[in-house]
Amino acid sequence: MRIRFRTYFAKQALADIRDNLTVHVLGLGTMVSSLLIFGVFLLFFVNISSWIHEWGNTLSFSVYLKDGISAYKRDKVDAFIRQLPGEKTLRYISKEDAMVDLKETLGSDAAFLNRLSRNPLPASYEFFFERGKKHDLNPKAIKEALTELDGVADVQCSEELLNNFKAIMDMLESIGFLVGGLLCLCVVFIMTNTIKLTIFYRKTEIEILKLVGATDWFIKLPFLLEGVIQGILAGGLTLLALVCGYLFFATKEVHFLGMNSLDLAFLSFGHMALLFLISVGLGLMGSVIALGRFFKV
Amino acid sequence: MIQLFHLFKKYGPHIALSDISLRVAKGEFVFVTGPSGAGKTTLLRLIFGAEKPERGYILINSVNLARISRSKQAFLRRKIGFVFQDFKLLPQRTVFENVAIALEVTGEPTRWIRKKTRQTLELVGLDDKEKVYPLSLSGGEQQRVAIARAIVKAPVILLADEPTGNLDPDLTREIMALFGSIHQKGTTVVIATHSRDLLEDVAYRTILLQGGKLAGDTCA
Repeated sequence: MRIRFRTYFAKQALADIRDNLTVHVLGLGTMVSSLLIFGVFLLFFVNISSWIHEWGNTLSFSVYLKDGISAYKRDKVDAFIRQLPGEKTLRYISKEDAMVDLKETLGSDAAFLNRLSRNPLPASYEFFFERGKKHDLNPKAIKEALTELDGVADVQCSEELLNNFKAIMDMLESIGFLVGGLLCLCVVFIMTNTIKLTIFYRKTEIEILKLVGATDWFIKLPFLLEGVIQGILAGGLTLLALVCGYLFFATKEVHFLGMNSLDLAFLSFGHMALLFLISVGLGLMGSVIALGRFFKV
Repeated sequence: MIQLFHLFKKYGPHIALSDISLRVAKGEFVFVTGPSGAGKTTLLRLIFGAEKPERGYILINSVNLARISRSKQAFLRRKIGFVFQDFKLLPQRTVFENVAIALEVTGEPTRWIRKKTRQTLELVGLDDKEKVYPLSLSGGEQQRVAIARAIVKAPVILLADEPTGNLDPDLTREIMALFGSIHQKGTTVVIATHSRDLLEDVAYRTILLQGGKLAGDTCA
């Protein structure tokens, strides 16, 4: 394609946007809003996945003991845990310590605990294996062995919680794809209508261009470029809004599921590129559909 | 140059052209005349490829219009200039831009387009109005812009539909002189007109249409 042609197409596309500025600004606003919803969901998903992944690197157990367990039985549980392979951190939490921990967690809402006639919390052992060691272990077998020990009331393993979370994440992922798909359809619809209006606006000019010997592609290319420009603008503005939002929230402490302050992660370069390309692709798709449906000269 | 073979064209039940066969040689100047509704505009539009006949076929420089692709038809139109009865000018573009548009589609260099457009505007006497918008021009001036757009690409065929329809006698003479000079350069010119006065003033071949049929073909 000759350089002059290329500049003509770019000029024409920009002129179309300028001539139908209101329509394009409205279309752009809706596109950015839709992509922003998608981007926020992506950001949320990326962060939760990263937290769960980090959490999943450690394998932890909570072994709840029966009330009134004898020192002998407790020592047997203790000895069993200590003989498990791999480096681990072990902590015994007495009934009293458990109550103190709970009160600290509840903070000002803990007043009702003072009214209890007796401490209902069980004593427990909490232990976790060092990062990287978990793959050599069989959490299910450890849990079964612990449950069978005399004096053990219940055993909870992080692996089970993790699996439950993964199921929730899978569900969220499916919902994300569905919502994302609907938003994409919405963006394509908006883009199609924006280009349709530009085609109608230039109807006379298109007719004259055809009459003076313009090829179909000569007329169509500016419209395709228009969609691409709209997609680039929408993608760029969405990413900018996401960065601003991220910088705003990254300065604040984020707590999730009672865990300590979490580090917020931003989208990877791959995710940003994907979002941008989706935006450009949807803009182009809208133009292609509009040209296919309304370009009849 | 232009060959028509047994052309039939109808719009709904109305027959616009019926069994039209004729031949226009290269470099000829031809008038197509007849009363309103005789089929003059339809004939020109068929030659231009803006419409397709129900039956029959058209050869332009031995190329069958029915058998060429859309892109080839676009390239063929670059060799044919058409002056429309309603001018078909873009009101939001200047006189210069309206004329240059015919060259823009070819992808020629900008400098060349500017030069050719200015030369053509000079030829039609509108070189001082290149920055003016069509709506602020008189009917005659708009007509000249339409002619400039048709001839700027140096067409081998120039088709004009009632080019003097709304003009006073002085302007008509001016426009006809312009067509004459274009013809002198070797362009085949076909003008559709219902004006008897126009035909009396000049001595060119005249094709008469009546009710969509060929009623006469005279070399004056």
